[in-house]
Amino acid sequence: MSIIREHTQATLSDAWRTINIDALQEDSSVNFDTATLHPPQPEISESEARQLQGQVRQLLRGGDAEGALRGCLEAPVYNGSELARETHLQTVIEVLQSIKASEMTPMLQRIYASPGGSECLDVLMKYLYKGMAASSSSSAGSAPRTPSRVTPQPTGFSQVGARPGAPTESTGAAMSVLLSWHEKVVEVAGLGCIGRVMTDWRRV
Amino acid sequence: MSQSLRPYLQAVRSSLMAALCLSNFASQTAERHNVPEVEARTSPEVLLTPLTIARNENERVLIEPSINSIRISIKIKQADEIEHILVHKFTRFLTQRAESFFILRRKPIKGYDISFLITNFHTEEMLKHKLVDFIIQFMEEVDKEISEMKLFLNARARFVAESFLTPFD
Repeated sequence: MSIIREHTQATLSDAWRTINIDALQEDSSVNFDTATLHPPQPEISESEARQLQGQVRQLLRGGDAEGALRGCLEAPVYNGSELARETHLQTVIEVLQSIKASEMTPMLQRIYASPGGSECLDVLMKYLYKGMAASSSSSAGSAPRTPSRVTPQPTGFSQVGARPGAPTESTGAAMSVLLSWHEKVVEVAGLGCIGRVMTDWRRV
Repeated sequence: MSQSLRPYLQAVRSSLMAALCLSNFASQTAERHNVPEVEARTSPEVLLTPLTIARNENERVLIEPSINSIRISIKIKQADEIEHILVHKFTRFLTQRAESFFILRRKPIKGYDISFLITNFHTEEMLKHKLVDFIIQFMEEVDKEISEMKLFLNARARFVAESFLTPFD
């Protein structure tokens, strides 16, 4: 057998450089099982999320906004399909949008003072961040008006092309609701609730 | 400052204040190395939940915290193509001089215009609230700067066109 290795097409290419050899080693830190960092959560199906959505809507119609908010914050979807998570996010955002700005702070203070209220506000914070992430990424992915690619126009640079029009206004309004809730939650529960959102492995 | 900008910056400020709790943490894969974990991604347990703060679909901030570093990525408002070009030129100007900004990342992460990387060494030698102030001030100034540049560009284009076309009058 000759010492000089046969060079094949596979060895000549440099694809092997991109292999993460740490991942192949079982006791490497890359293979740390993050499932050990949080207790197992019961799986929530989409139908259960929809059922809760119905109950919360009924409470909203009955004028019990605080009960609706508590109801959806006490049953977050930590473990479930993408659809169930989306449904629950929609439920939370619906409740948040239906509450008037003047009622936010007193309601949050009442929830915070009640037993288990601190956890409720942590969950609310998780949904606020998720809401902002979800609506900005989904619209950015689908909207052709985001100026990601620049097409030269025959008349030079036109300003009429991509003016932020009506479609962005609705998402902007939804964001400003989330942003004002964010501010109020930080006022009531402090910076600690952001810290707990970051460090909690039970992600919504 | 416009009405909707204030809660946005306030949310970024409080999230940054909460995220900037960094400690020294040596690499677990390479001995005697100390790398920003948020960039290396070799230990999943020290990476925390990333936070997104959005004002609308074109303006958002992504904060990726980890045990010894955080990465802040900003998507600057770009209403039209001129602003897109101006933002690109402006951020390129800054990132080419990243050494003088200490916390500026040389390359923005995908989907964003400019990224900052703050490690525990930065927070050890600089004041945390000043770092946060710097980011917030940058976000305030950059919109103003871009719209100013756009106005200036338009005025200049008009002047050039006028003086170019005068002989044919």
